[in-house]
Amino acid sequence: MKNQEELLVALSDCVLNMEDETVGEVAQEYIDNGYPALDGIVNGLVVGMQGAAELYEQEEYFIPELLICSDAMYNGLEVLRPHLDKCESQKKKKIVIGVVEGDTHDIGKNLVRIMLEAAGYEMYDLGRDVVLQRFIDKTKEIDADIIAMSTLMSTTMPAMGKVIEMLEAEGIRDRVKVIIGGAPISLAFAQKIGADGYSASAVEAVKLVDRLLATETSKFEA
Amino acid sequence: MANANMNSLNEMKPLERAAAMAKGETIDRLPCNPNVANGVARVYGCRISEFNSDAKTLAAAQIASYRHFGYDSVRIFTDLFTWCEAMGSQVYFPDDATADLAKPAISDIKDIGKLEPADPYKDGRLPVHLEAMKYLIDEVGHEVGCSGGVVGPFTNSFFLLGVDETLKLISKNPEAVHALCRVSLQTCKNFAEAVINAGLTPTISEPMSSCTVVSPKTFREFSAPYLQELVDFIKSRGKGVIMHICGKTNHIWTDIAAMGVNGFSIDNVASLTDCKHAIGHQVRILGNIDPGGIVYCGTPWDVRLGTLQGIAECYDSPKGYTPMSGCSLPVETPLANIQAMMDTVRDVGYPVRPEKLDVMIADCKKQMGML
Repeated sequence: MKNQEELLVALSDCVLNMEDETVGEVAQEYIDNGYPALDGIVNGLVVGMQGAAELYEQEEYFIPELLICSDAMYNGLEVLRPHLDKCESQKKKKIVIGVVEGDTHDIGKNLVRIMLEAAGYEMYDLGRDVVLQRFIDKTKEIDADIIAMSTLMSTTMPAMGKVIEMLEAEGIRDRVKVIIGGAPISLAFAQKIGADGYSASAVEAVKLVDRLLATETSKFEA
Repeated sequence: MANANMNSLNEMKPLERAAAMAKGETIDRLPCNPNVANGVARVYGCRISEFNSDAKTLAAAQIASYRHFGYDSVRIFTDLFTWCEAMGSQVYFPDDATADLAKPAISDIKDIGKLEPADPYKDGRLPVHLEAMKYLIDEVGHEVGCSGGVVGPFTNSFFLLGVDETLKLISKNPEAVHALCRVSLQTCKNFAEAVINAGLTPTISEPMSSCTVVSPKTFREFSAPYLQELVDFIKSRGKGVIMHICGKTNHIWTDIAAMGVNGFSIDNVASLTDCKHAIGHQVRILGNIDPGGIVYCGTPWDVRLGTLQGIAECYDSPKGYTPMSGCSLPVETPLANIQAMMDTVRDVGYPVRPEKLDVMIADCKKQMGML
């Protein structure tokens, strides 16, 4: 029988090494041995996903590899999540994420969602080609801490500024941080529309959110 | 800002400039291509959806923008999905924005065998594009290089089965990806041949080959063989090839140059200087003024500075340099910013003198309050 440490390494390796078909069995073995699910997620699956993200930054892994790593992480989560104690899955910071209206590319957004989820945030994914009002409605409904918007197409960039204007019109701009990203987006554009932060990659997005939520008084972050 | 038409009035025509340049004779300025794309609808005054069915409007808008700015290349190309649509994918057409993929042609790899190469004279919007090319070359073909855009075989494959699905197949079922690329290649070749028969030159966009998306190893295994065949085919018909790949491309520059392309257009996240050192002795380099951050968001002064800095980096590239945006400009890019790019290239003149560039850059920074 494997001890907990060995199984955590095995979970992490399954994600890192793109073993999306075997991770479920390892996760089941981990649960069958009576080890806590939260540990399995945080010190197993998430460690593997962070490793994958590092390999992406080092240009060892690329998008196809990351997608299979994330499939492995979700397959593991599916087994472990039902065993979480209720209190463990509460009191997380909430993030609404989506690709703005007019754009249906969502690889980048999905990676950001996966990385933030791996980092322990509670994600509300509105999907792609999202009607702008839905960002506002969802934010009010769940009292979100962050709105994360992305676009791949330069044609839809102005929609992001519009969401910020809508938040202001609703009088809730100061209750939520807005971060943006995507290929055509730049720091200059983020500042121009009055976003709270911009990140160029999924890994950076996690660091950005950590910083924004740690220091509520901070100014613009990137 | 001077009137655009007046600016270009006394200039060499783009084809005269290109011919003189090829012979090493005197020219008036570097060639320049702001890459206006669907933004031509704003110059001409029509909705982008009119390009989907109205070849005359598609050509007229391109011609109007060319005449307004006087840049050095006109291209019929509206979006990346024209070829997958012609093979059965569904495309979403907003009223006045660029088209997008709605539903891939197939949803299961077992249906790959059912895919057929497109007939450029029958399928989807390909006939509209070809008809527009004929109007284009009839009206301005005697004075400016006219091209027909085609997406590369690897990129097209993703739009047949879905992007995420196909990305996963790269490791899970390589043979399926090759099969998608093979049938895509045939579509690309059919279309390229029709473009050449219409008297234009095909230019290739291959965004999914970017190092931002797939590894150089994946590029070499899955994209390069088919891309090479497309390049060889176009060259065999006596046409030079200009290729654009978005995002990071530094790890595959030498592969691209070895393919025998005449020009390579790079995105703003790639470095002109590095690209010049890597492949400048083999291919003409085009690029890479930031289309979103500078040309769309910036002021005319920002565009001027970006254009000058690009020229300073790359004007001495052995096989030549064309100032260009790093990718297609956003539709709502201010026309004054496009004009600023053209004006800057005109002001620099030819031959490019580095000491004059230094003065112009310093002056630009002074105007912008940066010095």
